Amino acid sequence: MYNELKEKTYLVTGATSGIGYALTGQLARHGARIIGVGRSAEKCAQSQSILRRDTQNERIDYLKADLSLQSEVRRLAAQIGEFLASQGVTGLDGLVNNAGTFTYWCRLTDEGVETQWAVNHFAGYLLANALLPWLEAAPSGRIITVSSQSHYGSKIDWNDPQRRRKYNGLRVYGDTKLANLLLTLGFNERLAKNSAVRADAVDPGLVNTEIGSKGTPAIANLVWKLRKSGGTTPDVPAAGIVQLLADNEHHTSLVHYWKNARPQKSSREALNVQTADRLWAYSQDICGL
Amino acid sequence: MNSIRFENMRPQTVLITGAAGGLGKAFALECASRGWNLVLTDRSESLINTLAESLERGYGIRVQTFACDLTDPVKREDLFRQVVSTGTRLTMLVNVAGIDHEGTFMAQTSQQIQEILRINVEAPLAMIHTAVQYRDRRSAFRIINVASLAAFYPMPSKATYASSKRFLLNFSMALNQEFKEMNATVTALCPAGLPTTPECIKAIDAQGLAGALTTVDTGRAAYLTLEASLQGKPVVIPGFFNRLIHLAGSLVPANLLAAIIGKRWGEVRQKRVSRGELAAV
Repeated sequence: MYNELKEKTYLVTGATSGIGYALTGQLARHGARIIGVGRSAEKCAQSQSILRRDTQNERIDYLKADLSLQSEVRRLAAQIGEFLASQGVTGLDGLVNNAGTFTYWCRLTDEGVETQWAVNHFAGYLLANALLPWLEAAPSGRIITVSSQSHYGSKIDWNDPQRRRKYNGLRVYGDTKLANLLLTLGFNERLAKNSAVRADAVDPGLVNTEIGSKGTPAIANLVWKLRKSGGTTPDVPAAGIVQLLADNEHHTSLVHYWKNARPQKSSREALNVQTADRLWAYSQDICGL
Repeated sequence: MNSIRFENMRPQTVLITGAAGGLGKAFALECASRGWNLVLTDRSESLINTLAESLERGYGIRVQTFACDLTDPVKREDLFRQVVSTGTRLTMLVNVAGIDHEGTFMAQTSQQIQEILRINVEAPLAMIHTAVQYRDRRSAFRIINVASLAAFYPMPSKATYASSKRFLLNFSMALNQEFKEMNATVTALCPAGLPTTPECIKAIDAQGLAGALTTVDTGRAAYLTLEASLQGKPVVIPGFFNRLIHLAGSLVPANLLAAIIGKRWGEVRQKRVSRGELAAV
């Protein structure tokens, strides 16, 4: 039991299934206040009532938002601010950018952004920036992004960053997971000097979730079915994230990539400051920040 | 890499119809990422406005929108009047808007059949006729018509749709020759199934391995077509497997092809009915 989590407030995206759902439950058991974000109103209501009952923690609230759209992320950020204020909360102790998606075919959102980039990267970038004042108002705000081993070997092609012209779902997934690490680096670079907020990225390992089977063709679906059966339950990476949030020693560490709360080595490309700056500028352009 | 051509030296303005759909968005993005200005039209006002806003913000281009039903001649006139009133001259027209209604000929209403002809044939012809008059005469003028791989074949249970695309394909090739002397080109895109909506993806999935092999992403189709258009190529068939099908198909008598396709589509239809994706008729 981490008593230090009791008075804390966390935001978890993708909180109606997989790692996000497990994480919401675990944080609630430690007594924290949690806002969960999901895409389906029905699943949000369901998760909220089940988790409140199972954890005996009434301070679990779900908000609905489709994170593939920037307009929705902006609306969500404003809604979170209003909600926190209404609860008398003065700061947000942690944002866990967990929501992630995989698409086999190239799908463009209504805003003209490739879907994996929209959900896996731009949503987290926008949400963290929009909520930064709230994170800075907490004693040591944290931005945790769920990345993946898939980032090894990835390199963003700046002629076609979203790979629209020669789409390959898995390559794009790897690129967005590299972007998670580069964004973490970008945040730490910008926040280090005059803020207590700190960003971390997490490798969840191979986890038995539905990420590879939502809206993919039968062949890809089958491959994922076989692969995920060798994975851990979502509770394992969730516990690692909880430990990371509770442990303030990590706060002064220079390492910002973790697996089960132990330092993990990222690819060299993920530590490239120039690439991180370029991604930051590109994200600013696309999101108009 | 896009090579540096005359087009890239002058400000470009591209008019795209059906801009809110999967392929329309892909064309809009392909142009936007090259820094070209856009005029977007589609039936849905909210969808094109959303797209326009984020393309202007993300790519620093100018985007005009005009929501309308392209089968309405008055609306088409209004569209061009709005474009011209801002001092805009067009350098490219991309006719993406197209429609099909599920079902065999007799299962379709006469209204549906008329709609297919008006959106797939009448509208693009009218758009070309007017757009050419408002082209930027200091630049080459590029026209792209989205036909279909179906344009090459008589297709049972898609008879009206496939024939409308055949019309557009032949028309494009003929016009490409006619327009040579005024420095305009016409390119017909003939894609197989495109994974644009969850509905389309289900249909592709029902075709099994053939579906996976023939499917080319919208982003790639748009990119290849734009490059082909800049080179003045008359026909684009994206995907190696699709070019193979086209080659094989050209060696088989049309009547036999119609029989083979009819059988194949019947099987795919059956599969989708048994999966509960289509109603049995």
